[in-house]
Amino acid sequence: MARLFERRLVPADSPAAIMATTSAAFLAAMLAAAFLFVSYDASPFQAYYALFHEPFATLRGFGYSLVRASPLALIALGTIVSWRSGFSYLGFEGCFVVGAAAAGWVALLTAQGAAIGPIPFILFLPLAILAAYLAGGAWAGIVGLVRARLGGNEVLISLMSNYVAIFILQYLVSGPLRAPGSLPESRLFPKGSWLPFILPGTRAHAGILIAIAAAGIVWVLLKKMPLGYEFIVTGFSPSAARYAGIDVGRRLLLASFFAGGLGGVAGLTEALGSQHRLMDGISGGVGFVGIVVALLARLNPLAVIPTALLYGGMSVGADAMQRRASIPSSITFILQSLAVLLVLAFDVLRYYKINFDFRRGTPSSTAPQVSE
Amino acid sequence: MKDFLEMRNIVKRFPGVVANNRVNLTIRAGEIHALLGENGAGKSTLMQILYGFHSMDSGEIRMDGKQIRLDSPKDAIALGIGMVHQEFMLVRPFTVVENTVLGMREGRGPLLDLEQASRKLQELSNRHGLALDPAARVGSLPIGVQQRVEILKLLYRDASLLILDEPTAVLTPQEKDQLFAILRKLKQDGRSVVIVTHKLKEIMECADRVTVMRDGQVVATREVRETSEHELTRLMVGRDVNLRAIKPERKPGAAVLQVKDLRVEDESGREKVCGLSLEVHAGEILGVAGVDGNGQSELAEALLHLRRIEGGQVIVNGADVTSRSVAEHRAGGISYVPADRRRVGSVPEMSVADNAILGQQRKYVRGLFRDLDEARKSAEKLTARFGIRGSGIDQGAGKLSGGNLQKLILGREILRGSAVLVVEQPTRGLDVGAVESVWQELIRARQEGKAILLISAELDELLNLADRIAVMFEGRIMGIVDAVAASVEVIGLMMAGIRPAGAANTGATMKEAPSGETV
Ligand SMILES: Nc1ncnc2c1ncn2[C@@H]1O[C@H](COP(=O)(O)OP(=O)(O)OP(=O)(O)O)[C@@H](O)[C@H]1O
Ligand SMILES: [Mg+2]
Repeated sequence: MARLFERRLVPADSPAAIMATTSAAFLAAMLAAAFLFVSYDASPFQAYYALFHEPFATLRGFGYSLVRASPLALIALGTIVSWRSGFSYLGFEGCFVVGAAAAGWVALLTAQGAAIGPIPFILFLPLAILAAYLAGGAWAGIVGLVRARLGGNEVLISLMSNYVAIFILQYLVSGPLRAPGSLPESRLFPKGSWLPFILPGTRAHAGILIAIAAAGIVWVLLKKMPLGYEFIVTGFSPSAARYAGIDVGRRLLLASFFAGGLGGVAGLTEALGSQHRLMDGISGGVGFVGIVVALLARLNPLAVIPTALLYGGMSVGADAMQRRASIPSSITFILQSLAVLLVLAFDVLRYYKINFDFRRGTPSSTAPQVSE
Repeated sequence: MKDFLEMRNIVKRFPGVVANNRVNLTIRAGEIHALLGENGAGKSTLMQILYGFHSMDSGEIRMDGKQIRLDSPKDAIALGIGMVHQEFMLVRPFTVVENTVLGMREGRGPLLDLEQASRKLQELSNRHGLALDPAARVGSLPIGVQQRVEILKLLYRDASLLILDEPTAVLTPQEKDQLFAILRKLKQDGRSVVIVTHKLKEIMECADRVTVMRDGQVVATREVRETSEHELTRLMVGRDVNLRAIKPERKPGAAVLQVKDLRVEDESGREKVCGLSLEVHAGEILGVAGVDGNGQSELAEALLHLRRIEGGQVIVNGADVTSRSVAEHRAGGISYVPADRRRVGSVPEMSVADNAILGQQRKYVRGLFRDLDEARKSAEKLTARFGIRGSGIDQGAGKLSGGNLQKLILGREILRGSAVLVVEQPTRGLDVGAVESVWQELIRARQEGKAILLISAELDELLNLADRIAVMFEGRIMGIVDAVAASVEVIGLMMAGIRPAGAANTGATMKEAPSGETV
C-alpha cells in the first residue's frame, strides 16, 4: 500500500529535514507576499532585490543588520533557556527595558564628575553587563518565584510585567534621569561607555560579539552541563524531574533568572551600542520579535545568530525598500509574519516522507523480502 | 467459523528495526484471539496498523474477503475496528459521555447532543453489564472503570472488532474477571476481540485461539484447547521458562529500612497511609500486597519524600531520614522504581543514554561538564546486562517497548548500589522471559544484601520473591505473613480488609523479629 507521501508517526527531526521544511516555508512566504507588490506596480524581483541587497550586500546595510540582530539574538537565547526549562516566559520586553536602564545608569555614573567618574572600558563593560544581567534576571526571577512558590501563571504575569517595566523607564527618563531639553530622554552617555564599533564605516558595534558569545554559552549550558540537563528534564516532565531529585521550583527560578539576564543584556547592547542614551520606547517590540526568532530557530541556540541576522536584516531592507521603491515597509512585516506562520505550519511536512519507489511497491505478492 | 479479517504479509520497519516482518494473522467472527510475544516483538505495532495508526510498508488487509485501506483511525472506526491502547487515551478532565463522543458527530447541527449520547450510553452499559455513570469525570475513576469507558466507547461506535492492547496489566483480579465476562458476552454477540497479553493464564482462561510473535514474525497460531502454557512459552521465548524463582536461603541481616507510624495524605488531603510501621532487613525482600489504591503508591512516594510526610519516621541504617529531600535520598540510600514508567520513571523525549543517568546527573560529571563518555558507557553496560532491546542508546526512550523501558528503569536503579530498593509493580506489562530476568535481578540484589520493598499487585510475584508479605488495606497493614507458609486465601481475605483469626495481633505495628507471623 505504498503511496507517494507516507505518513510518519513521529516527525523527521534530522537537521536536514528541518532545514528543508524551513527553507520551503520561507520560499512559500516570499511567493505569497510577491502578490502584494503587484498592487504597487512593482516587480517582485526588484522589490526582493531591494529587500535583500541593502542589508546583506552593502557594508553600511550589513552594519545595520548586525545592530538589529544583536538584541534579537540575545532575547531569542533567553527564550530558549526559559522555554526549554518549561517556563513559558513572555516578559522579555520588560527585561530588555530594565537591562537598558541598568546599563544606562552605570554609564551615566561614569560620566565626568558623576559618582564613579571615568573608568577604563575594560572595567566598565563587565560592570555594565553585570548590572544589566542582574536587573533583567531579577525582573524575570520575580515571575519565576511567583510560579515556583505560588503556582501562578507565568504567561499572564510576565506579559503584564512588560508594561510595568516600560512605565518605570518612562518615569526615569521624564523624571530623575531627564536631560535638560524637551524630549523625555536621558543625557548622552559618555563616549567611554559606548560599545566599540567593529566594522569601520558602519554602525555595527560589539553587541553582536556579546550575542555570539552568549549563544556559545547557552549551547554549552544546555548540551554539556548537568544543570542544562536538569533544565531540560524539568521542561519535558516535571514529575520525572522531581523523581530524579531535581528541585523543580529552584530550577524554574534559576532558568527564569538566566533567561531574564540575557534579555537584560539585550537592552544593554541597544542602549550602549546604538542609542547611547535612555529614552522612552527604546524597546520597540524586540522583546516579542526575539521570541519569534527563537521559534524560527527551533529553540536551537546555534541557529539563533543566523536567524536573528536574517530577521534583523529584513527589517533593514524594508526601510530601504520604502525609501527607494516607495513600497510600504509593512509589506515586509507581512512577509515576516507569513514566514513565521508558514514555518510553523510546514512542520506538518516533517510527518511525511516521500516514497520514491511508490509505483513499484504494489501490494501482496511483490512485498519486498525483509532480512535483518 | 468464518474468517472475518485477514492480515497478509504485513511488513513494517522503524529506523533500525523491522517491527513486523511478513506477518500473517486471521481473525474469525465471534472469537477471542490472543496475541502473545516478548516485549518488542511487534504486537502493538501490528495492532496499530490494523487500527490505521501506523502505515505499513507492504502487505494487505482484507475484511470479509475484500481488501480494505486503513489510512487513519477514522477509516478503521468506520469499518468497525476499535482499539484500546496500551496507554489509555482518555481526556481526564472530561466526563464519560464527553470522552465517548469525542471525535464523533452526534445528532444534527454543529452542537453536540450530550443528552442523547448519555441515554444511548446508559442503555449500552445496561445491556452489556458495564456499570458506569456517564456524567462522572474520567480522571476521578479507578483504572478498571476507565478501561470500561474505553470499551464502551468502542461499543458506542458499534465496533465489530475490538483490539485490547494489554488490558489486564493494570486491573485488580476482580476487575479482570469482570473484563473477561464482558469479553465473552461480546463474543456471543458475534463480535471479535483481539487481546494482547503476556499472561499465559489469561490466554488459557478466555481466548479461543492464540498467535505467537517473536522478533517481528509470527511463529505459530494455535487453538487454545490444543495447546498448553508450556508450549506457548517455548514458542514465544524459544526455550523453557520456569517462572519459579529459586531463592537461596539467606539469613536476613540488620534492619536497614524502618518505617514508624507513617502518615501520608493524598492531594485532596485524605489520609492514604494511616500510621503504618514496617521493617525491611538487609538481604530481605518484603512484599507489599494489596488492591491498587490502598496506599501502596503513597507509601513508596513518601519514602522517597516525593510526597509530604505528615507524621512518623523513616529510618535508614539507623539514621533518621524523614526530612531528607529527594535529591539527598537519591544520593544516599534509597533507589526507587516507580509504577508510572512514562511520566515518572523516565523522560520519553530524551535518549536512552540520557535516561540511563536520570537521578544521577550530578554523578556523571568531569569538572564543570557532563561526562558524556562515561554516561554512554554506563548506558551501554545497562542495555547489555539487562538485555534491553531497541535500536541503540541514542534512540528516544519513548520508542522502546514497554517491557524494555521497564528494564531500563529497573536496571538503572539496581546498578546505583543503594542499600534500600523500593520497587513498585516491576513486571507490569513484561513478557515471561523479561519477568524471569527481572526476578533474577531482584534476587541478585537481595543476595547482595539490599533491603528490598516490593510493592506488587501480582500475588504470584510476591509469593515467589518475597520473604515476608505485608498486606495493605486502606492505608494500614492488615497483617504480615511468611511467604513460604502463606496461603493465597488468607492474603486475599486481608486484601479485602478481613483480618483472619490468628493474624489478628500483627496489626499496624511490627516490632518483632523479621520472621514475622505465620498463619
Ligand atoms: N514509533 C516508533 N519508532 C521507532 N521504533 C519503534 C516505534 N514503535 C515501536 N518501535 C520498535 O518496534 C519494535 C516493536 O515494538 P512494539 O511496541 O510493537 O512491541 P510490543 O510487542 O508491543 O512490546 P511490549 O510487549 O513491550 O508492549 C520495538 O523494537 C520498538 O522499539
Ligand atoms: Mg506493546
